[in-house]
Amino acid sequence: MRPRLFSQRLDPRVLRLYRVVLGFFLLVFLAMIWPVATVFSRVYPLVFGLPFSLFYIATLLVLSFCVLLALYLWEGRTGNSCDPPEDEGPEKERREDS
Amino acid sequence: MLSLVVGLWSGRGTSKGPEGYVAGDRTLGFLMLYFILGASIFSAFAFLGGPGWAYSRGAAAFYILSYGTVGMVPWFFFGPRVARLGRKFGFVTQAELLSSRFQSKSLSAVLASISVVAFIPYLTLQMRGAGYVFNVVTEGRIPIWAGAAIAYGVVLAYVFRSGVMGVAWTNTLQGMFMMVLAWTLGLYLPHKLYGGVGPMFEVLAKAVPDMLKAPGLGSSGEVWTWGGYSSAILISAIGFGIWPHYFMKIFTARNERILKKTVVFYPTFQIFLIPILFIGFAGILSYPGVDPADEILPTILMSLDLPAVVIGLFCAGALAASMSTGDALVHAAGSILVRDFYRVVFRPDLTDAQQTRLIRILVVVISGVAYYFAVVSNQSLVALLLLSYGFIAQIFPVLMAALYWPRATRPGVLAGLAAGCAAVVAFNVWPELQWQQIHPGIWGLVANVVALVIVSLATPPMDPTHVREYVVH
Repeated sequence: MRPRLFSQRLDPRVLRLYRVVLGFFLLVFLAMIWPVATVFSRVYPLVFGLPFSLFYIATLLVLSFCVLLALYLWEGRTGNSCDPPEDEGPEKERREDS
Repeated sequence: MLSLVVGLWSGRGTSKGPEGYVAGDRTLGFLMLYFILGASIFSAFAFLGGPGWAYSRGAAAFYILSYGTVGMVPWFFFGPRVARLGRKFGFVTQAELLSSRFQSKSLSAVLASISVVAFIPYLTLQMRGAGYVFNVVTEGRIPIWAGAAIAYGVVLAYVFRSGVMGVAWTNTLQGMFMMVLAWTLGLYLPHKLYGGVGPMFEVLAKAVPDMLKAPGLGSSGEVWTWGGYSSAILISAIGFGIWPHYFMKIFTARNERILKKTVVFYPTFQIFLIPILFIGFAGILSYPGVDPADEILPTILMSLDLPAVVIGLFCAGALAASMSTGDALVHAAGSILVRDFYRVVFRPDLTDAQQTRLIRILVVVISGVAYYFAVVSNQSLVALLLLSYGFIAQIFPVLMAALYWPRATRPGVLAGLAAGCAAVVAFNVWPELQWQQIHPGIWGLVANVVALVIVSLATPPMDPTHVREYVVH
């Protein structure tokens, strides 16, 4: 009855990957608010013509996009999911019963 | 005109039952879902309010970019399960899912009420935006009330005819149009006024340095507090994916991969917001004293002596932004009231045809209420909108408990919602309780989670075989 974020049916290594990704997004979020964001809240240097504060947020945005895209492509290649459907045919059922 | 044609045309292929009308028969592909979500956020707030914020409050507008960066990520994790449950049990709204998990009709009614109350100010904002556009562009010849009425007459016409497929097609068309327009205007205006984006920020950095770094300025021109800025990001990131009209799009995806792909590519819309903010920054020194600040974009445009084609394109873009969000909102509000409130509490035996008809009637009624606020009343929109975000975010703990915590019980989530909403109301009624301008919704979430956990643990657990159908295990 305890809270569970990811399915028990996941392979331990896959589970660790999902935890790392979730942790990454938590860090991105923390990086955008007080107190971390205060460190990067500066006008100079202007990067690509943007104030540093805006450049910083844009960087986080692009970085998050790349990480999630990588996870999506990896899922497509390996057939993994953080919450795989239960009924995957009789073979899976038998394995769970034994 | 074109959007009206496409909207009406796309209604032909969909089935007539509520599952077809509301969830588009669960057949939406990537591009449609992508533009539906994107165009819904590219609302009058993004197109008029975004530049307005950048113009009057500078870097405070960065909060919109920030919450959008992480706001959709939870969908990647809970979306597939929600979609699967929807397919299995035939859910098409958020309240159906949650009230079925907690076996509670009152939860359904509470959620429906929270949603609709939160929708109305949001819809009001879109209508007023449409009114502004007509008003400024015709140099006052079409007053705000008439502009809002014309735009929302069109919205009603196609929501009425086509249901969600109409919404999907028109959003696709409007979404593509908006993207082109955003970049063109956002790069053209700084170039025209300052000779480029870089030179513009160099000038601004000397003149108004506080407007170029987070947290920007507050509503009365002083430097905004970090508490206000950070909590605005937090409450928006949490509330964002929970808005019921957004959430129900999960049920329209054809499959899980398409849903995930949409989430992955969602931040591309945030990138398109950056040039929109440039428009506001461009106006700070060249056009001082525009009031309300939300009219900065049309005001700049009208002053530039642009060819009529560009003005026309702008009009269409801004109206499309306002209307596409508006149609998603009225449509969701109608479906939610009928399916989650009226049908659950009063008339479980409603036939599909009756439901569809009732949704259409309510769409008209809700638009009427929002129109009243947009035109007749002078209620402060910002206050209402803040209140509504505070309420919407209270649904987040309930959803998390529904999917991830088997021990959560019906009294637990009801107590959580009650405590959360009460805290939000209290902090809005007695603003002197506020500290560091932290958003009332944050205190609501604290109260919500505490009540949810304590009451759940104090009440007997729910039937494990029932719960197992819903939670991650």
